[in-house]
Amino acid sequence: MHISEGILSGPVLISGVALAAAGTAIGLKKLDYERIPRAAIFSAAFFVASLIHVPVGPSSVHLILNGIVGLILGWGAFPVILVALVLQAVFFQFGGITTLGVNTMIMALPAVFCYYLFGSLVRKRPRIALPAAFACGIFSVFFAGIMVGLALIFTEENFLKVSYLVVAAHIPVMIIEGFITAFCVAFLGKVQPDMLQR
Amino acid sequence: MKTFRDINCHFWNRVLAGVAGLTVICMLWPVSAAAHRVNIFAWVEGDMVHTQSKFRGGKRVKMGEVVVYDQDGKPLLSGKTDDQGEFSFKIPGEMSMKMVIKAGMGHQGEWTLPLEELSGVSGSTAEPATAVMKTSETPDTAKSGINSEEFRRMVEKILDQKLKPVIGLLVETRKEGPTLSDILGGIGYILGLMGLAAYMHFRRKSAEIGTGKKD
Repeated sequence: MHISEGILSGPVLISGVALAAAGTAIGLKKLDYERIPRAAIFSAAFFVASLIHVPVGPSSVHLILNGIVGLILGWGAFPVILVALVLQAVFFQFGGITTLGVNTMIMALPAVFCYYLFGSLVRKRPRIALPAAFACGIFSVFFAGIMVGLALIFTEENFLKVSYLVVAAHIPVMIIEGFITAFCVAFLGKVQPDMLQR
Repeated sequence: MKTFRDINCHFWNRVLAGVAGLTVICMLWPVSAAAHRVNIFAWVEGDMVHTQSKFRGGKRVKMGEVVVYDQDGKPLLSGKTDDQGEFSFKIPGEMSMKMVIKAGMGHQGEWTLPLEELSGVSGSTAEPATAVMKTSETPDTAKSGINSEEFRRMVEKILDQKLKPVIGLLVETRKEGPTLSDILGGIGYILGLMGLAAYMHFRRKSAEIGTGKKD
């Protein structure tokens, strides 16, 4: 889901930076001290998850984990994902420094979106918490795929085709992430229920 | 309160162990080094330019589009990579070239082939191999032995042959995936940021306590 450098045009990059900066500012404001350690843990998990890769077709995809990050941290997903992306760009050369803003938007906005969609279901309805978490894992990746299509709309010119390609390539990842998110929610529900109750 | 904190501490230990475990799993994963960066590498052999494109970690780019640009950024030609991630084309002319691999879904990488690497074939971009045969057949060179131009070409041809496995080795081994130190370095930065946040928090807190005491 990382867009490389040299593909996107200036206006897309700049609007990506502006939006990501706004999201990060909101996230930092909402991230009080008690939640810093958990943000750091999830940042580390997000950072490392990109190394687990699933070979699909001509391209290759990897775990993203933005669903669980959004579910637990809400708007905090923005700074968490930004930090992890900076480190991925520096250490792994995934994405790039100029595309940081766009890439942050691609992965963090679906995370926040899923937080609003599934957060209250997972928290308040224990009976459907697991299916909701599974759906959260799936949809976070799905929306990220659509975000990639949106970002590439001015360069590849075919939004539907690109989005379809990206989403189709990520179907295995979506299913895996669904299970991971459900597993995390089940695990946290047993071991540390307050974490789910924000 | 104390018991809660104990549980909390215990839990974070567990989470840390989980993250460490995940790191180890990543290292042992059969195709561990994830492929989310695409690289292209080009080299000259005879009158052909060969390119090879790989995702980081070694997976070949199949059916990726390679576009070749001249030094002014004008596209010269393009083609698709084969199952080995390779795409070869005849040298279109004496100039430095930039090869861009487009692997789809926003993946792109590039490689510049400088003019110097082409200089060996600059004299006869069209047909160096056949040129050698032709010139050796002409009577005056046969009389006077091998002229320097011909000699240069022969050496070049032999060098190409001899260096082929070496170049192959270079292509194979270039740029492997992230190392353990990359991964641990990244996690270290994140923990460092957490430490920084904790430091700021407690400094503020102790400042609050300090002013509280004065009052």
